[in-house]
Amino acid sequence: MSAGHRMTRALRAEGATLREAVHAEWTKLRTMPSTGWLLLTAIALTAGVSVLATVVVKCPALCGEDTTRLSLTGILLGQAAVAVLAVLVMTGEYSSGMIRITLAAVPRRATALAAKAIILTGVVVAAGTVSVLGSVLAGRFILRANGFTGAHGSLLLSLGDGPALRAAAGSVLYLALIALLSLGLATAVRDSAASITVMLGLLYIVPLLTDLGTLDPAWEHRLQRYGPMTAGLAIQATKNLNKLPIGPWPGLGVLAAWAAAALLAGGLLLRLRDA
Amino acid sequence: MSTGTITPYRSGQRPGRDDFPHLLWAEWTKFRTVRGWVIAMAAAAVLTALAVVALAGVSNGSQNAGANPAVAIGPGGEAVTDNFYFVYQSLDGNSSITARVASLDTELANAGSPPPHIAVPWAKAGIIIKAGTRPGSAYAAVLATPAHGVRMQYGYTHDTAGLPGAVSAASPRWLRLTRSGDTITGYDSADGRHWAKIGTARLAGLPPTVQAGLFAASPPLLAPACPPGAICPPGSPPGQSFASNSTLVPYTTQATAAFDHVSLRGGWPGGAWRGGQIGFPTGIPLLCTPSPGHFCPKTPAGGFTKSGGTFTLAGSGDIAPYVTDVDPLGTVLKGSLVGLLAVIALGALFITTEYRRGLIRTTFAASPRRGRVLAAKAIVIGSVTFAAGLVGAAAALPIAENKLHSGGWAASVYPVWSLTSGHGLQIVVGTAALLAVAAILALSAGAVLRRSAGAIAAVVVLLIVPLILGAILPQTYADWVLRLTPAAAFGLQQGTPHYSQVTSVCQPINGCYPLAPWEGFAVLSVWAAAALGIAAFLLRRRDA
Repeated sequence: MSAGHRMTRALRAEGATLREAVHAEWTKLRTMPSTGWLLLTAIALTAGVSVLATVVVKCPALCGEDTTRLSLTGILLGQAAVAVLAVLVMTGEYSSGMIRITLAAVPRRATALAAKAIILTGVVVAAGTVSVLGSVLAGRFILRANGFTGAHGSLLLSLGDGPALRAAAGSVLYLALIALLSLGLATAVRDSAASITVMLGLLYIVPLLTDLGTLDPAWEHRLQRYGPMTAGLAIQATKNLNKLPIGPWPGLGVLAAWAAAALLAGGLLLRLRDA
Repeated sequence: MSTGTITPYRSGQRPGRDDFPHLLWAEWTKFRTVRGWVIAMAAAAVLTALAVVALAGVSNGSQNAGANPAVAIGPGGEAVTDNFYFVYQSLDGNSSITARVASLDTELANAGSPPPHIAVPWAKAGIIIKAGTRPGSAYAAVLATPAHGVRMQYGYTHDTAGLPGAVSAASPRWLRLTRSGDTITGYDSADGRHWAKIGTARLAGLPPTVQAGLFAASPPLLAPACPPGAICPPGSPPGQSFASNSTLVPYTTQATAAFDHVSLRGGWPGGAWRGGQIGFPTGIPLLCTPSPGHFCPKTPAGGFTKSGGTFTLAGSGDIAPYVTDVDPLGTVLKGSLVGLLAVIALGALFITTEYRRGLIRTTFAASPRRGRVLAAKAIVIGSVTFAAGLVGAAAALPIAENKLHSGGWAASVYPVWSLTSGHGLQIVVGTAALLAVAAILALSAGAVLRRSAGAIAAVVVLLIVPLILGAILPQTYADWVLRLTPAAAFGLQQGTPHYSQVTSVCQPINGCYPLAPWEGFAVLSVWAAAALGIAAFLLRRRDA
């Protein structure tokens, strides 16, 4: 495609197509130095903390542990790096003024947001798969060495297992949904400090406030069912499913609803406001 | 080829002053004039107060089994444990009692015959002067323990160490209490000849006639619960590794102590020694978990025998402050996390905004010594946050306590800490200090990373996520996480004090932390100081 051809395409009234917008977003994300660092941090935090959590659990004492969930503990920390990446994808453009160029090139704002969401999901799913596979593989070796050999009613950790596979794949989806929720929120808020603060509050403060043990049980139950992190992480559970405040897939569904609502609100505000 | 030198232009104005007070003033002006920051800081104070009060509002004591325990009420109106076996006589006026503890053994009560020995570190056997036999009345005692040596204890909370070491036939312990008016003095000795003073207790309003004598008590041992009907191995002592979610239940233990060389001086009207249980023993016997239709054997009755000059006492219970497992005030104070989050964001923004706007170059041009700029920023953001936190916490504490008590939490067990009482001050000043140091930590992270989102996330992961990890890791490792990370400082918000002489369930979910409150704060401060040092180093090394 010649340069002249490309220019005429860009000058057409309908603007760039989704494919072109996705390509542009990929170039922007790829060339930002912070992207690589944040993805590396996400992988290192997830795998590192998962390994630490599995190393300390030994079987004859604690055979009843949910080994799959334990070996994915690091998602708790890794998601913070994913949220930062997702917030910066949008607010980075507002702080540098790049957003005006982006919207001049892709005047359809829904297309611009969709392109960002697609690229972000792809990158986070890739990094999430690496970190989850790393955590599960490390967990398998460490837990076996710690006595989780199937005796004493302990669980062997294997991805061939239906629930374990669901937990691992679900954790990757969880990270992707956290990224989309952060992107939607950042689109609405437009400021990186404010977006990340609200996002981390939603993720970490809500579960801390629900787990106090002194609250009205009805309130506690409600907050656990509908908080984005407590609901979404139900996907990691493979034991005592009937004791969970919300089932694995419905829980991930709650998080998906949060992400969809945030993207919708962000998209609407992006359409209505001046950049 | 020079044609003479040209004097460069010099402004006639006096050079600007860059001494530290002016630097502080400049940083304060920067903070004060950003309207969003001032609003956010005020919001942090208001949100802290609102969240704490709202949590107290939905905190439900009527559904919590621990909300109204059966306790004795101590001289100051506080909840106390006052259960022990007492062998006593009336004592008039100024006088003294001396006795030698020849042996002290502890066992699990009702756990077979002979009952298995089990270590109870804080079992007690000794001599006591008590205002009366009513549980909760004032007392002073000198006592021997299996693992903490000789202690003088009085007023339920006071505990002073005497001679170290356990009691055995080879090294018995001599104990003495003397009364003079309201003052009771405790002594101990290893041989009955060389006496050392341990401490003095002033018991205001002690009646002229008091009850004095020998006592034995052994507090319940906390161990994981047995499944109903199962035969459990002798309970693993507390402190062992078990999952944080396993329930700990108190098992009754009994102390058996032999006393000899009992001698009385002063106003003893004479008469026989009487024995009796004060209060009631707590805990349930091992090998038995109560369930419908299945009754456990009764907890052991204490007792005493006297042969020649030797008294042998058996007793269960404890003389100590009542410590609850649940801490409703400590948990609702978690509402301050909302304010903490806002404060972390402001701390980071205080420097990252300068990088974003390029103001940092002006700042460093005006004050080239970068370490001093960072110090000024830390002082300004720390002080402003401290003030805001102080206002928020001081406003929230009385309202939250009021709501907790009207929500069904017994006021005798979950006391009202007035803002001027020691513990109330610790909560309010501690919360403000926690917020202030967190802001300085965030400022340092902002100076290192230069990006607000990254800095805020890093501090949240360091300071708040350990609280979540602490609830899911096994207890031993959760304790280490909460000792080493800055989250140790949340111990400042403990709503019920813990005492080293009372073994209690200490779980972060119940507002109890492995480090003492101000030690935990020291951990946070060390983190903040280290981060500030790294930030100062990098500021000097890197281009702005």
